[in-house]
Amino acid sequence: MVMELDLRGLYCPMPVFRTREEIMKVPIGSTISVIADDPAAAEDIPRWAKRSGNEVLDVKKDGEEVRILIRRLK
Amino acid sequence: MMSDKKKMLYVQTSGMDTPERLYAPFILSMTAVAMGMEASVYFLIKGITVLKKGEAEKVKIGAFPTLKEVMDQAIKAGVKLYACSQSCELLGMPKVNLVSGVSVAGAATLNDLVLESDGVLYF
Repeated sequence: MVMELDLRGLYCPMPVFRTREEIMKVPIGSTISVIADDPAAAEDIPRWAKRSGNEVLDVKKDGEEVRILIRRLK
Repeated sequence: MMSDKKKMLYVQTSGMDTPERLYAPFILSMTAVAMGMEASVYFLIKGITVLKKGEAEKVKIGAFPTLKEVMDQAIKAGVKLYACSQSCELLGMPKVNLVSGVSVAGAATLNDLVLESDGVLYF
């Protein structure tokens, strides 16, 4: 099961903070799907994920929005 | 995406009110690319004012080409340009007015770029 995290309406640095908070709530190995409309999120969240030792599975832009799949590895 | 190339990052906080400070990051980053490195310029605070469409054309000092020409050369050379999203908010500059070839980014990106770069210069 993939946890959905809707971060639309939040702006830098909140999408990164919320992603960090929420990923800690799922077991290691599981995946979260983040949707955001902050234009910085498509760069910021994948960079945060890699830097924090997690895995970015997919980044998909759709107009103003971006959807990012992250697997919690630690 | 991993590369053996050395990386340089230039952080530009100076804006249109100090035109003499605007050329250096473009010239240095292009030179870094010519030296076989990867180069990025991150614009924040007043730095983003040069990224507004139509502004770089207005900067021309002495025998230098316009800033727009230098910016276009840098983009063509493969220099990556980043604009701080919250600086756009701070200065009331809509992100749709940014010149093309610029990525909008935020705090996590700047921190990450500083850590992954071999050298960082601030203007």
